[in-house]
Amino acid sequence: MTQRYEFDHAGEFLEQLRRLVGEGTPKSNIWVRTPYHLPEVEQLLIGDRPGRMRFFPLAGGLGGFLGGLALTTYTVLSWPIISGGKPIVSWPPFLLIGYLLTILFGSVVSLAGFLLLARLPSPPGLREGEEFSERFIIAVGDWEATWKRPD
Amino acid sequence: MADIETPRPIEQDVLAAMSRPSLFYLAAVAGCALLFTGGLSLWAYQVWFGLGVAGINNPIGWGVYITNFVFWVGIAHSGTLISAVLYLFRARFRTSFNRAAEAMTIFSLMVAGLFPLIHLGRVWVFYYLFPYPSERMIWPNFRSPLVWDVFAVSTYMIVSLVFFYVGMVPDLAITRRRRPGFAGKIYGLLSLGWLGTMRQWRHYSRLYLFLAAFATPLVASVHSIVSWDFAVSIIPGWHTTIFAPYFVAGAILSGSAMVITLMVPMRRMLKLETYLEVDHFESIAKILLFTSLIVTFTYIVEQGLAYYGHNSFESGAFTYRATGHYAGLFWLMVLCNSVLPLTLFFKPLRRSLTWLFILSFFVNVGMWLERFVIIVSSLAHDFDPYAWGTYRPTLVEAGITAGSFGLFFLLFLLFVKLLPVLSMTELKEHEK
Repeated sequence: MTQRYEFDHAGEFLEQLRRLVGEGTPKSNIWVRTPYHLPEVEQLLIGDRPGRMRFFPLAGGLGGFLGGLALTTYTVLSWPIISGGKPIVSWPPFLLIGYLLTILFGSVVSLAGFLLLARLPSPPGLREGEEFSERFIIAVGDWEATWKRPD
Repeated sequence: MADIETPRPIEQDVLAAMSRPSLFYLAAVAGCALLFTGGLSLWAYQVWFGLGVAGINNPIGWGVYITNFVFWVGIAHSGTLISAVLYLFRARFRTSFNRAAEAMTIFSLMVAGLFPLIHLGRVWVFYYLFPYPSERMIWPNFRSPLVWDVFAVSTYMIVSLVFFYVGMVPDLAITRRRRPGFAGKIYGLLSLGWLGTMRQWRHYSRLYLFLAAFATPLVASVHSIVSWDFAVSIIPGWHTTIFAPYFVAGAILSGSAMVITLMVPMRRMLKLETYLEVDHFESIAKILLFTSLIVTFTYIVEQGLAYYGHNSFESGAFTYRATGHYAGLFWLMVLCNSVLPLTLFFKPLRRSLTWLFILSFFVNVGMWLERFVIIVSSLAHDFDPYAWGTYRPTLVEAGITAGSFGLFFLLFLLFVKLLPVLSMTELKEHEK
């Protein structure tokens, strides 16, 4: 048995969501769609548990930084050119490359992580008639009910 | 589902802005396209006849092309300041400006990226710029600021593009719902099938925060690295530690001016007066005034360092800057960047969109001149009097410069009709 609720305003939507959670509906059975980010929804259905998203910028940033240092050091050791009497392995400029690649890879890997975690591109989302709604929708039981209208 | 929902005014207004090309708009597109085509033809002329058609010479090997590069990279900075830094500071007024400011960042970086290629002369060997060892014995020199520049500008471009796109995904999903037919399908693909589920919003909000955090240091670092193209050399007038903060402040000043130049007509043309309020423009005007004061302070400190530094080459370069061949441009720069922005101390002027638009034009001119004066006057008058010279841009250089403005404004005009210019999702969120 699937129940579906639809609201125009965030207030009524959150009230219903609180009621459902309060009544003891299993949280894993509640599906919601909102037109903008509502931190309260996460608070109600997930709690304070931090998501896995945070590991991606860390991995990307660290990889970029170490990759930048490795790229520069490996390159100058393999193809050394002496300029301005400076040491072949010159850390200050290499740190600069490391810093830039931290930002580059941190951002790109974060994007990739987001696509992975948010399941995007989403084939159901691309289907006609199931577009991003401007209403606040709750479905209890079946996730597909967040877009299928009750008969 | 779309037919039973009452469209919200925000969506209606923003999407209406995308669907009504007025005669004025079409005329503007035609004008910009003409300028761009003119610039492109002159570039083709330069490629055919060689770099000799430009006015750059020995000793002045960097002229208008490098000036344009620095100018356009500078313009980009304000977009990131508004979209990323103000997001982290939770500044509410950013919501009305961020989308267009981010678009400005991307378009100005695209234009900026062309100038090193135009300056190369033999553009077909552009890949020599990338730092990889090859059998041509061009070994990468990671100690060269020009190589740092390649990394800095490409990183900036990619990160800005990711930030711009990610911020737009929910709005593309709205556009898809409101646009029937083939256009809707394209917006649907671009929106990746965004549905607005809790899982999506949860990761989306984290991603946006991380991207803002990654983009924020770029506001300070990219133009610092561009400034080191000059400061790391030994040319008097360039070789100074003040260059990095000086360039960053100048970048934000010129970028804020360009935001005003673009937004005042856009607000009127797309009838977005409800969303782009005078208060918002006043906030941008305050950023402009603040950065103008920093830039003025730097002008004074720079002259002070030259005169009290007991280095005759340095003081000679600065005397030349204020009294030599380019003195007129130098004083015009001071007028545009230091004197005229002082009018913003007066509240009525700060809130007058007409004055802000006029002032932004002067600041844009002033900041372009600043880069020209720094680059050209320093090269014109370095150590050895026998190696001094002068430079005057040719018609080809002037035409390519005008073409770059044509391209920038053309891209922006296309953006306002093809993509949602305001962040509808964020506006709804704030409405709550």
